[in-house]
Amino acid sequence: MKAVGARLPRYDGIEHVTGRTQYVDDVRVPGTLWTKALRSPAHSATFDGLDTSKAEAMPGVHAVITWKDVPLLEYGHLSALGIPADEPLLAKDEVRYKGQPIALVAAEDEETAMAAVEAIGIELEEREPLLDIRRAFDDDAPKIHQWGNWYPHFEGEMDCRQIRKGSIDDAFAQADTIVQGVYRPAAIEHVPLETQVSLVVPEANGRLTIYSCTQALYFSMGVVAAHLGLPLNKLKVVGGTVGGGFGGKVDTATETMCALLAQKSGRPVKWRWTREEEFLCSSTRAPWHMEVADAVTKDGWILGRKMLTLHDSGAYARFSPYGLTKHSFHHTGAYTIPNLHFDGYVVFTNRVPTTAMRGFGVTSVSFATETHMSRIADVLGLDPYEVRLKNANRIGDTSPNRIVYTDPSTVPVVKALAGGMDVELAPEYAAMGPGQREGDLLPEHLVAQLADPEDH
Amino acid sequence: MKLTVNGISHELTSPPLATLLDVLREELGITSPKAGCEQGGCGSCTVLVDGEPQRACLTPLAAVDGSEVTTVEGLGSPEELSAVQQAFTHHYAAQCGFCTSGMMIAAEAYVARGGTDDHEAIQEALGGHVCRCTGYVKIIDAVAAVARGDSFDLTTTAPSAGMTNLGGVS
Repeated sequence: MKAVGARLPRYDGIEHVTGRTQYVDDVRVPGTLWTKALRSPAHSATFDGLDTSKAEAMPGVHAVITWKDVPLLEYGHLSALGIPADEPLLAKDEVRYKGQPIALVAAEDEETAMAAVEAIGIELEEREPLLDIRRAFDDDAPKIHQWGNWYPHFEGEMDCRQIRKGSIDDAFAQADTIVQGVYRPAAIEHVPLETQVSLVVPEANGRLTIYSCTQALYFSMGVVAAHLGLPLNKLKVVGGTVGGGFGGKVDTATETMCALLAQKSGRPVKWRWTREEEFLCSSTRAPWHMEVADAVTKDGWILGRKMLTLHDSGAYARFSPYGLTKHSFHHTGAYTIPNLHFDGYVVFTNRVPTTAMRGFGVTSVSFATETHMSRIADVLGLDPYEVRLKNANRIGDTSPNRIVYTDPSTVPVVKALAGGMDVELAPEYAAMGPGQREGDLLPEHLVAQLADPEDH
Repeated sequence: MKLTVNGISHELTSPPLATLLDVLREELGITSPKAGCEQGGCGSCTVLVDGEPQRACLTPLAAVDGSEVTTVEGLGSPEELSAVQQAFTHHYAAQCGFCTSGMMIAAEAYVARGGTDDHEAIQEALGGHVCRCTGYVKIIDAVAAVARGDSFDLTTTAPSAGMTNLGGVS
C-alpha cells in the first residue's frame, strides 16, 4: 500500500510536458492515405442508387467502401453479453441518424478524399424522424427500428427492465404524502480534445497493425475481428494513449472501417474525425426521462418508490441495455427504500447513438434521486441533510436488486457535505455512523428488507 | 519560405497558404502542437511566434515567413525541464496531455511578460484553451507556482488545495 495517499509522479508525466507523447495522429507511416466519409444528411431516410463509380475513378483515390465490403455487416457492441446486433457498420438501405456513415473514401490527401465523397451518387427519401423519447410509445409515432421503438430483448424477452421489491401498494396506502418529480438530464457530448482517430497499416505478413485511440483495446480488437471475419492473431492493436475519452472512446468508431480501407487499398490508412464530426456524429451521453413518485411519511421516511425511466438510446442499442440495467440497480441512489416498482425502457430515436460516459447509467439517477431528496425535505418542511441521513444506506440494508451493503458511505459523505457547508446537524444525526440499524432508525417498514452482511 | 523552429532554421516546401500547424506537424514532424479543432477554438495547436502565442491552425505559413517559432519541444528536454514543464509535472497539470502543449505555451508567454500568481489574470491568459480532464484548477496552480518562482522536487508532486479529506468524519 505504498501508493495509496502518496503523491507519486505520473508515469507519463515527463512525456506529456515535453511534447513526446505519441498519440495516434502523431504516428508517421510513409504513404498514409486520408479518409473521409459520406454521412447521412438526414435524421431518417431510405436510400438507393448508391453509386461510387465516379469516386473510385478519380485520380488519387485508392479505395471506396460501402456495406457490400463488410464481411459481417452487423455486430453488436455487446454481442459478447448476449445483447443481439442491430447496427450495420455502414448503412445499407436506410439511415437512422444524421451523420450515420454510408460510404468511405481513402485518398492521397484530404482534399481528394473530400472531392471523392462529393462524387458519390445517392438518392435519399427522407422520413419523419422520431426525436423525442416521450413520443416513442404513441400509436402515430414513426416506427424507426427493426425491433420496434424500444428494446425488447431483456431476459425472458421482456421489453423493459423491471424491479419489484416489497409491496408498493402497502407503501402507498400507508403514506402521509406522495412526492412526485420528473427529471430530464440532456445529452452531453464528451468533447475529447483528441477527436476519434485510427491508423491502420497493412503489414507484409498479412496482419493489420491498428493504432487506435480506444479506451477499450481488447474490446475494439474483438469488434474489428468480428466485422472482418479475421482471427485475433491477424490484428496487432497499438493503444493505451488516449487524448481524452470519458467513455466516448469505448465505442469502436473508426478502427473497423479504416481496416477495411487498408485491406482494399493495400496502403496505410488514417481516419481522423474533424471537430464538427466529433460534435455531430459521435455518440453522446444519453438524455434520460425519469418520473419518480415516493410514498413518504410526515417525519421523513421513504416507504416506497414508483419509477419510470426512458433511456434515449439514439438510433441503435450499443451499450444502452447494459446502462439501463446499472441504472435500475441504483435507482434508489444512496438511500434505502424497501418497497419498489421500477420500469425502465431503452427507447430508440433518430438521434446519434448514445454510449458510455463517466458513471454510465448511474449519474442520471443520482441526479434525479438527490434532487428528489431535497424536494421531499422541502415538501415536508424538514432538514434536507437529516432526511438523507435518516434514509441513508446502512450496513445490512439491501439494494434494489437485493445486494446487501457491507460498507455503505452515505452517512460519512452526507456528514462531510454538511460540514463543508457549515451546517450544524442535530446531535443524534451528528453522532450517526454507517453501522447496522437499531432503535429509532429501524422502524417496522425497514425490517423485512434487511439481510445479513456476512452473506455478501 | 523559411522558419526558425526551436532554434533550427528550415527551408520549407509547403505552399504559402499551408497552415503553420500542417507545416510543423506534416513537413517538419514536430507533433506537440495538436489538431484539436482546426478552427481556432481549442488552443491545443498554440505555438510561440517571435515570442507571442498564436494559433498555428489559423496561421498561414506566408504570414510568418522568416519568424522564430517555439514549440514545447523547444522549451526543455526530459533531462532539463523548463520551469513551466516542472510546474506542470509537479502539480499534476497534465492528465490526458492533449491540451497540455498549448496550455504550456500560453503559460510560458504569460510568465515571460511578467505575469503574477493572480488566479484571475492566469484564467484570462489561458482563456482560449480548452481542457476536458483536469477542471483547470491544477493547471492554474502550476502557472501560479512558476509566476511565484517556486522550485520543484519532481520525485514527488504537490498536494492539491482543492482536496477534501473525508477520512476523519465518519
